[in-house]
Amino acid sequence: MKKINGLIFIFIIFLNASIVLAEDISGIDISHLWISEAPPTVSVLVAYVTLKNNTTKTASLVSVSSPLFSSIEIHRSIVKDEVASMERHLSLTIPAKSTIKLLPGDYHLMLFNPKTPLEIGDKPTLTFTFSNGVKILVKAQVKKRKYRKH
Amino acid sequence: MLTKLSNSKFLIPAMVALIILAAGTGFYISLKQSQNQLVQNNELRGLFWPNPKQIKNFSAKDHNGNAFELSNISGKWSFIFFGYTNCPDICPITMSVMANVYQHLANYYENIQIIFVTVDPERDTTEKLSSYISFFDQDFVGLSGEPTIENSLTRQIGIPYYYNMKKENNNYLVDHSASIFVIDPKTRLIAKLSPPHQPEKIIEQFKNIKRFIDEKD
Ligand SMILES: [Cu+2]
Repeated sequence: MKKINGLIFIFIIFLNASIVLAEDISGIDISHLWISEAPPTVSVLVAYVTLKNNTTKTASLVSVSSPLFSSIEIHRSIVKDEVASMERHLSLTIPAKSTIKLLPGDYHLMLFNPKTPLEIGDKPTLTFTFSNGVKILVKAQVKKRKYRKH
Repeated sequence: MLTKLSNSKFLIPAMVALIILAAGTGFYISLKQSQNQLVQNNELRGLFWPNPKQIKNFSAKDHNGNAFELSNISGKWSFIFFGYTNCPDICPITMSVMANVYQHLANYYENIQIIFVTVDPERDTTEKLSSYISFFDQDFVGLSGEPTIENSLTRQIGIPYYYNMKKENNNYLVDHSASIFVIDPKTRLIAKLSPPHQPEKIIEQFKNIKRFIDEKD
């Protein structure tokens, strides 16, 4: 797994000169990227993340991708009149000098059709693409979901 | 006192009721919901009283492929949540909360049962449900095939669910009830626990409801 990630990483580096790492010159920090451990048979996983925009310009996340999943979408869970639903967002705006947290029960990344089930300790890489063309590669941690107080 | 109304269209009648009740002696605010009176005071919030719906016989299949019917909920306190395994956020959050609740309540009561009912029987096969259920707690029960079966719990309780773009896309999403329903040992639909769900809140609500029912019966 590691090997494949490494190869893909190097491949993309050559492909696109604007690629930068998580702590980087793009002015956007991506941290706490984690995927919730799930039953091995489910076809949709979920990831949560913190996006920090250190620049004085609005940033817009337009896509997240990984060869491990058929697609990744930005969603928001909504509970209205006691009915739960999810709405898809085509982009996510991070205002200048601010931080956006994707947390359980709210905004999240939907990871469709994992090629292999993920286990605790796995560290798949996700690529975050912004509207200005900047791509940031981040390693996710597969972790157990903990019940947390709001 | 007036916390969360289940539907905004009840807001005005509820406010009128509140004003009338405030002048009288009552401290219950009752809202009409599927022929049940839903108690809204803090102690017994979510209780369907005085006329809880009697659940009739039904025949479903559990996550091991065994028959599951009225006799399987009779004599037990059942907590029922409706969802689907392709729901990666709200459903596992609720299931984790229920695992927490169950681990606590099972220390004190022998007849607690947690049931997950899929609203997506097409994709949620028995095998999928089985792996899903045991991920959260080996003792949980998963019911498949449910919404399509006559007299199913889904239909008797009147659970709303809605498929989004099912025809176009196999990654379709399902809108569904986020409430947890409680059926008492006499198989009466006794309470609805409203989101957001927290273990401490559910445990306290349950203890109050159980005490109330034990005193009545
Ligand atoms: Cu989603």
